[in-house]
Amino acid sequence: MSFLAQTDPWAGIDVGEQLFAFSPMIALICTMLAVVTCPLLFGRGPRPIAIVVAVGVIVTFYLAMRVAGVVSTGAISGLSPGGAGGMLIADPLSAGFQIILMVFLAGIFWLWWMGSAATERNAPEFFILLLGSALGMALMVSTLNLLLIVVAIETASLPSYAIVGFDKRDKAGAEAALKYMVFGSVSAAVMLYGISLLYGLVGSLNVADLAQYVATMGFHTGESSVLLSVGLLAFFAGIAFKVSAVPFHFWCPDAFEGAKVEVTTWLSVASKAAGLILLARVALTFCAAVEAPLNMQFLEPVAWVIGIVAAVTCTIGNFSAYKQESVKRLLAYSSIAHAGYMMMAAAVFVYAGSPGYTAGLTALLVYIIIYMFMNLGAFGITALVVWDGGSDKLDAFNGLMRRAPWLAIPMIICLMSLVGLPPFAGFIGKWWILVALGGLDSTLGWFLVIAAVANTLISLYFYLRIVVRMVFAEDQRAAVRAPVGGIALVNLCALALLLLFVFAQPLKTSAEQLSRGMYQAVASNTSDSSSARVADSGS
Amino acid sequence: MDSWLLTLIIISPLVGAALLLLPRRGSDATIRWAALGISLITAVLTVLAIAAFYADPPTASGDGFTLKAYVPWIGAELRDSSGLDISGNSPNIDIAYSVGIDGISVWLLALTAFLMPLAILGSFTAIRTRVREYYILLLLLHMAMLGVFCARDLLLFYVFFEFTLVPLYFLIGIWGGPQRRYAANKFFIFTLAGSVLTFAGVVFLAYYAYTVRGDLTLNLWTLTEMGKNGEIPFNVQWWLFLAFAAGFAIKVPFFPVHTWLPLAHTEAPTAGSVILAGVLLKLGTYGFCRLSIPILPEAAFHLAPVVAVLAIIGIIYAALAAWVQEDVKKLVAYSSVSHLGFCMLGLFSLKVAGVSGAVIYMVNHGLSTGALFLVIGCIYERYHTRSIYEIGGLARQMPWVAFFLIFFTLSSIGLPGLNGFIGEFLVLLGTATSATTTDMKAAGPLGYGYVIPAALGIILGAVYMLWMCQRVLFGPLKEPAGTPDTSTGLTKDLTPREIGFLVPIALVCIFLGVYPKPVLDSFEGAITQNILHASAEATVTQSDETQLEQLTAAAEGTPLNPPLVRGEARTAPLDHGVAESGDARVAADTPRGSNESGASEALWRAGP
Repeated sequence: MSFLAQTDPWAGIDVGEQLFAFSPMIALICTMLAVVTCPLLFGRGPRPIAIVVAVGVIVTFYLAMRVAGVVSTGAISGLSPGGAGGMLIADPLSAGFQIILMVFLAGIFWLWWMGSAATERNAPEFFILLLGSALGMALMVSTLNLLLIVVAIETASLPSYAIVGFDKRDKAGAEAALKYMVFGSVSAAVMLYGISLLYGLVGSLNVADLAQYVATMGFHTGESSVLLSVGLLAFFAGIAFKVSAVPFHFWCPDAFEGAKVEVTTWLSVASKAAGLILLARVALTFCAAVEAPLNMQFLEPVAWVIGIVAAVTCTIGNFSAYKQESVKRLLAYSSIAHAGYMMMAAAVFVYAGSPGYTAGLTALLVYIIIYMFMNLGAFGITALVVWDGGSDKLDAFNGLMRRAPWLAIPMIICLMSLVGLPPFAGFIGKWWILVALGGLDSTLGWFLVIAAVANTLISLYFYLRIVVRMVFAEDQRAAVRAPVGGIALVNLCALALLLLFVFAQPLKTSAEQLSRGMYQAVASNTSDSSSARVADSGS
Repeated sequence: MDSWLLTLIIISPLVGAALLLLPRRGSDATIRWAALGISLITAVLTVLAIAAFYADPPTASGDGFTLKAYVPWIGAELRDSSGLDISGNSPNIDIAYSVGIDGISVWLLALTAFLMPLAILGSFTAIRTRVREYYILLLLLHMAMLGVFCARDLLLFYVFFEFTLVPLYFLIGIWGGPQRRYAANKFFIFTLAGSVLTFAGVVFLAYYAYTVRGDLTLNLWTLTEMGKNGEIPFNVQWWLFLAFAAGFAIKVPFFPVHTWLPLAHTEAPTAGSVILAGVLLKLGTYGFCRLSIPILPEAAFHLAPVVAVLAIIGIIYAALAAWVQEDVKKLVAYSSVSHLGFCMLGLFSLKVAGVSGAVIYMVNHGLSTGALFLVIGCIYERYHTRSIYEIGGLARQMPWVAFFLIFFTLSSIGLPGLNGFIGEFLVLLGTATSATTTDMKAAGPLGYGYVIPAALGIILGAVYMLWMCQRVLFGPLKEPAGTPDTSTGLTKDLTPREIGFLVPIALVCIFLGVYPKPVLDSFEGAITQNILHASAEATVTQSDETQLEQLTAAAEGTPLNPPLVRGEARTAPLDHGVAESGDARVAADTPRGSNESGASEALWRAGP
């Protein structure tokens, strides 16, 4: 059995179509190359680099849209999970994530252009690293091959380490980068170790085969089950690192505090979202393969593990945010807590198993999109405040309502949305997660509902601390001078949060369609690759 | 017809708030008058809504609501577009922007729209900093409160209910007294703590509706029908009741969880106190009345004695606490806790008389306590103190203040002829007759035993309120040095503007005290149809009897019979609690004797 594919990947497959399916990633790579060559032609100034990056992002976005349009009808054969023997997958989920990623990257780029571009002397390097991590994340959601998962996670992580410590004169950044890298390397090593065990056990690097192995061999077969459990746990450790789930979250506050705000924003959303979607894809594959009564043996404990990790992540994130004086650090802990909420949604579809209870995946997708706006807004405002005053302490926010109402009002909206209060989109995100949990009607579901609700309450307090500083604290400092573009960006985010609340349905509908498509695709994939099993899952 | 009127009412303060943002250079006076104008527009629209309500009253065969509007918010679109294509895995979802008013909410809506212009008028001189933000927040609060009373979808209700927190938090925290930040935080965290539990309850109820009906619905009408048909088993009701009560009881505020209120009241600016006492506390009782009792009738019946005992403890405890307050505002705040205890007692008598009394008590309490806070605000603006020990004998200095303070005190302690009386009377009547039997079974959960201690609370109420009046108004003149402060353009006694916002309340108080019939009439239909949904209406709809006779008859003549047809197989996992609850209620399962009730029940079921 080959490392790379079970069959000849090119047999009967249109190469042009294949290239088209991966054109967004190819476009990202081309953009990186263009960024490398650009200084040779036009000098190292930020402007030409910015133009190249902007064009690259737009082209990638366009290509991802095209791909999404094509794969939604399953037109590319051999690539959607039906051909998961291959290394890469192009399906609505991956294309959709790439679209979101590009929108988010555009927001980060805009933030950078507003704040850092003028003083940035190493713009080419910065963007090579940023685009590199974007490429890694785009890869993470497009594969079910264990080896490529590792490659993707490393592609996403290595540039992230460097970008966190990008300003080498900044000691905090250097320390953050080192911590990030040590944690990242250890968890990558653990993950590789787990994968080696799994490969040794199953003889394949394909997650679908792994799931098939569990489905046919069962879970409780002597020492192999120990091997399987250890391998899976170690494998999930790598994902948990990206998601920053407890106990792999320690890098998160330090890295977020030390890095530039744009980078923090980028990591807080994109890295977690990619990790969660990877988790979802792997979990779905297992769900589709493992059927009752095995899912009682296998999926339920896994769901409990994910659920408990999610609840603990939430709780620790929220409690740790209590005493923070640095807003960046506070928001870092808040992002840990939100990773917990999103993992709760993951626990739902693992628990529900193969029949395809789509509510969990739908809630996860909806939450990721809403979370993107919330964090882009909150971190963006933090960035604007930091650029003006040079400090990210809570004190820097004192009297912001008077000093910069157009920053304070969107900040209140973003923070209240992060709490999950109506009438902001965060409420809708939480609502769908809670509905999905409630729909399980199980101990796990209600346990997580209670955990989520209690955590909402805990989180209120520290979000409120920022609001209190902004609105109530007297401060005689001069008005905040913020670039108009930055103000526009954060207010757009706030507006999006309001609109996504009022018009909650379209987002839900598209997420629902996407997740339903995923269930069908995954189900048909596993039934294709298995002749030993009656294929009746999904539909 | 008119189905957009309520939406217009809800939206108008929001549009107004947006308008206030516009003139960046507008003077403070412009902003004040603009805010007043906007709230008056809302009030006029509300008058139109009341007129429309009377022109087209809800019929007995409908769901009791009029001026309905329904726009799918989440879910319905999905069902329409793909129809049956949806696999059984994801429920059809019916969560909508759905508004409407019935005989109860119309008057609470009216109360809100009536008090807000007066509260705005009452802040003209008191609020001198950050004027624009103040009125924007007041208008946002206005929108949320109006929305709560109009909402007919549980999620919409919850959204508005929660949103009231945010503006009031800032109103207290920015424009409040010396301890404002502590008070604001305590208020926010207390109320949110309760309402997140309510939210868990909402999620569970939605899920439960899905298991029973196959639709994930939060339509209040559907949920009420589920409660009426007994589709929710007892132990589910029990837990849901606790979850709902967590949010509503804190808002009421109910005895053990009332501690945020005196602080919030003391620290809030005058308009904040008026709105807080006048309307926001009613959100809690309204929640009980609109959700807990109709959707969870068995649990409400079962837990009514507990609620009543706590209400009575609250009545007496808060009255005693009010007695020893030094701060006049805190005294009135504790009196609110005491009075809201009466509301709860009346609601949980589960009798038409008691619930009518409770609802009109809500309106009356909003009027009298709101007015008391306005009068105290007038005193405070002049003397910069609210301590009973620092001011005294003001009647000679400010006869108008003395008149209004005594007037609203009397209204608050329930002098017959003023508005407070009718509510107190009906609440006690409902409570006393709650357990009256007709066909050899206990009808309501409460009885005479609850009335006696509650009546003691009325006496205590008279004691502390009159004592306060005496200390503040009569005796030797006591004024802190340098007061009265007329530097802000105030006169020694009330200005015409201040008289202008107190007189309308006084007139309404007299009107409701003398002739409450139109209001009470509209309650009955709503209560029998939407709240108690038992068969009481048969005996109370004769219109030619006098009001009290009708209500007495209703209270004595008809038991509350929480419907007991239980959901079948679907409720199986949760069924074991039903057995233990069953024996308590098994008697009610027997068919009722009277033909009228059968007929009215048939009428009920004919509804949509």
